Amino acid sequence: MQNSSTLFTGIFGAFALSCGVMVLIPHSQLASLQPQVQWDEGQNSPADVYPQKRHMAGREVFLSEGCIYCHSQQVRDPQYGPDMERGWGPRRTVARDYIHDDVPLLGSARLGPDLSNFGWTAKVAQKDGTEKSVGMWRNEHEDDTKKPAARNEQWIYQHLYSPRTLFSDSKCPPYRFLFERKEIGEKLSPNAVAHDEKFQYVPTLEAEHLAQYLLSLDRSHEVKEAPTVIKPKEAAKK
Amino acid sequence: MNATPETTSAKQGGVTRRDIENVERALIDQSARGPVLTFFTMAVFWLLVSAVLGYIASKKLHSPDFVLGPEWLYKLLHLQRITTGIFEHLTYGRVWPAYTTAMIYGWCSLAGMGVATWLIGRLTRVSIKLPVVLQFGAWFWNAGVAVAVITILCGYNSGLEFFEMHRVARMLMFLGYLCIGIWGLILFRYRRQSAPYISVWYLAAAFFLFPWFFGTTDALSSMALPGVMKNVVNAWYQNGLFNLWLGCIGIAAAYYLIPKIINRPIYSYNLASIGFWSWIFLGGLTAMTRLSGGPVPAYLVTISIAASILMIIPIATLTINFVRTMKGHTKLMASSPTLRFTFVGTIFFSIAAGLGVLAALRSVDSYTHFTAWTAGQLHLVTMGFFSMVMFGAIYYITPRLVGCEWLSRTFIKLHFFGTAYGAGTIIGMFLFGGLATGFVLNEPTADKMGFYNVSGIANAYMPVKTYIGYVLFGVAQIIFAFHFLLMRLRIGQPAGEPTLLQTPGEGH
Repeated sequence: MQNSSTLFTGIFGAFALSCGVMVLIPHSQLASLQPQVQWDEGQNSPADVYPQKRHMAGREVFLSEGCIYCHSQQVRDPQYGPDMERGWGPRRTVARDYIHDDVPLLGSARLGPDLSNFGWTAKVAQKDGTEKSVGMWRNEHEDDTKKPAARNEQWIYQHLYSPRTLFSDSKCPPYRFLFERKEIGEKLSPNAVAHDEKFQYVPTLEAEHLAQYLLSLDRSHEVKEAPTVIKPKEAAKK
Repeated sequence: MNATPETTSAKQGGVTRRDIENVERALIDQSARGPVLTFFTMAVFWLLVSAVLGYIASKKLHSPDFVLGPEWLYKLLHLQRITTGIFEHLTYGRVWPAYTTAMIYGWCSLAGMGVATWLIGRLTRVSIKLPVVLQFGAWFWNAGVAVAVITILCGYNSGLEFFEMHRVARMLMFLGYLCIGIWGLILFRYRRQSAPYISVWYLAAAFFLFPWFFGTTDALSSMALPGVMKNVVNAWYQNGLFNLWLGCIGIAAAYYLIPKIINRPIYSYNLASIGFWSWIFLGGLTAMTRLSGGPVPAYLVTISIAASILMIIPIATLTINFVRTMKGHTKLMASSPTLRFTFVGTIFFSIAAGLGVLAALRSVDSYTHFTAWTAGQLHLVTMGFFSMVMFGAIYYITPRLVGCEWLSRTFIKLHFFGTAYGAGTIIGMFLFGGLATGFVLNEPTADKMGFYNVSGIANAYMPVKTYIGYVLFGVAQIIFAFHFLLMRLRIGQPAGEPTLLQTPGEGH
């Protein structure tokens, strides 16, 4: 290399290429992404908007505790891995799913299961003709004896307080500081994770927000750009 | 700087060109002393911090209930409140980002900037002017890293990997960087060496590009971008951080130190040129493989896979250059600490970059994605390659700044073995543990869909990483820090004869 101007021009050119290809071009594609809106005839407001913007305080707790270092929130197409077979979602997640997220918490490691659709529910017909909303997010075979009965708020609190009472090999840290000790009043709180004669350990507001955030995670809504691979009716049978 | 020995003029009372060059070098070294020692001291501090945080993070991964000590000890010291108050909050999710921040921005970057400062002085053959600007830069950067690590441990997280720190920390670091970067460009402008040496190309790339992608990522991260664009920008930033910042500084140091110690020129300047240009053009395009399968435009991932495969070109040229330059001189590694650390560092580089090419392929990626393998790749780059080269450089540069040689060859030997075997263990356990997990993560059988079948797979690997890898590494760094402290206090061997690992002529 003979002189410095060649050097700096070349370096700048390399950077411009990298920035252009990796940042500017994708931005021009993604910037125009809008929520998927469905209008019914003659209506003044849309019948369905997906995704809806919601501010969940629990997302801050999720981020602050560094849950993203073990839990991802992206479902991949079957060609990349058995994400959907594990029951993590009925379809792959697309860019549209995250347009309202300030920083999508996609995650880059799975030391724990993917949580994209933790709150995924479906209406399942019961024998008596009524419909029940059941949690669809599951990754255990129906005959698996370790399969939890339900992944509801109480289960989440138990998992946060003491993960290894639920799964002995879990590497999830115990978040004891998200719980506080209170006197048992008239009766034990349904959310109490532990108790002795006088005191019970109940979730703090942060833990409640976190649980609500996790139960709100649902990216199962049908979108044009990704076909639904697992239909809810099919999944309900499993 | 001339690698080939000069035939000198008359020795009786005449001043040879060699003498003038030596005096010039000594003057440059003296002018660089203040700032470079500041950089090194701060870097060594963060090295110790990151060794401790690394141990804690690693232990929390297989023993999440570990709270820094047995319960009875806290009861004895009446410190129960501290266990519940502070240590319980130090979960893996907080300690890991603090660890990577301290390691990359604290130890690696500060050591890199110190080595680069000295290298630029030597390579431009200009005494360092206005060293106080550099000192300010170092302090600002240091303050930024401190704010970053503390706020992350307290729960702040921006959500962007390897960029978790608070904006205030980023501003401080950027301000510190401006002092250093502008200073570097001015020195380059007034250089006395017209045709820049290879190391200068790489340093120019590192110092010119770092503020661009650091600043751009910071600016974009605070704007309202559509969802996954922030993840795309984050991946692009990681490209810049590892390939163009750490990678370039490490390669620059290796290109200077290896020929210097063995007193031979680099094997091929043509190869070096090809290696440089292909590195910086391809190096900025490879990172999207981290998002493969994710909710981003597919062409981004495909471009990155293609660029990663093409990276074979710069990796091959760099490997050939380093190995062929060293050919016939490898026995010098038995005595020279700098050569040993630096060359082993370049071997780690080849392994790191080579595995990066492999892991980009879809077939391999399906087993390594989302596992501890990527942490292994991270440590290959930062601990294996970059840290080893930095240690080699620090062992070379420090005696020239403090006026005495390293006190104890035993300390250096212990440091080398602890670092090499410790880092090797850590890296190996991450890679193999990750791969073992990846096989089950990727191909579960119908009755083993539950994630709890995956959690325990790396149980055999992770404790080895903690109790052998991080302990060896940590103890080695404590020895090194102590040794460095002695140097700063001018407690060492008299100047003149470098402290070698074995006396030449000793047959081991």
